[in-house]
Amino acid sequence: MRMAIKSFATILFTLFIVGCASGPKYSEISPSISEVTPDKGRIYIYRTALLGAAIQPEVKLNGEVVGKAVPNGFFYVDRKPGDYKITTSTEVDRHLSLLLDKGETRYVRLNIGMGFFVGHVYPELVEKDVGEKEIQKCSYSGNK
Amino acid sequence: MRKMILAVAVATTVPFMLSMSGCAFDVIHVEQTTAKLETSSACGQDFRLVEAVEIRLTGGYSRSLKKDTRWNCVGTIEQGHVYRTKDQILTVEASNIYEAYIVISDNKLVGFYLPVEHSFSPLKDPLPLTIEKSTQSKTKDE
Repeated sequence: MRMAIKSFATILFTLFIVGCASGPKYSEISPSISEVTPDKGRIYIYRTALLGAAIQPEVKLNGEVVGKAVPNGFFYVDRKPGDYKITTSTEVDRHLSLLLDKGETRYVRLNIGMGFFVGHVYPELVEKDVGEKEIQKCSYSGNK
Repeated sequence: MRKMILAVAVATTVPFMLSMSGCAFDVIHVEQTTAKLETSSACGQDFRLVEAVEIRLTGGYSRSLKKDTRWNCVGTIEQGHVYRTKDQILTVEASNIYEAYIVISDNKLVGFYLPVEHSFSPLKDPLPLTIEKSTQSKTKDE
């Protein structure tokens, strides 16, 4: 019985560790991140929630896969001004629609919600000051 | 016999799971009607919101318009003048989340314009706003 509990705990711990972003922290690499070009805007996408660490759906921007919802991870995309739809899929699709202007930086947090079989990851547009603060401890998870 | 029971269980469980995953958590929708934003017609006057406003959305979500936020008219739709602000983020939320502008008619908030969807989402009960109209010349965002 003890052995079973130990094994279960080890598996859970391993999943937890493996599931988290392991790249450099935003606070460490932010000085080296190039500025967005004047003709484009930037969208930072990040996830702070460790809950449901095993659930890491792809993140799509207007249907194109741009990254994964890795716990404690962030990535960014530079795009031309326009209408954008950010989608995550678990047992259901969740999307956020937003506008991006020239030179604008937007922050999208990937939250975890309750699901029927698995948790849902859903994107939420957050205020710039909130995004700038929360992303500091996230690690770069890369695009795609 | 056991195989038969297993087959029946699979045959009933799979459609059930598929139907649940397809709709169970997608039941709250934002009511929307298509709206054409006219940017060339006469727009409303820009304003500052003097008092914060709490808005109850369908589905139990709430939003607030912050005090002292400045709103610029970006156009007109059939339901009223459409205003946008750079001072706060405004979204309408149900199962999905949509960036939104406010729609005002007779100094009342009557709903939201969803710029990506090009649609209007009405408020059940229009809300009166306490505003201070801008005396400066208007700048258009769109």
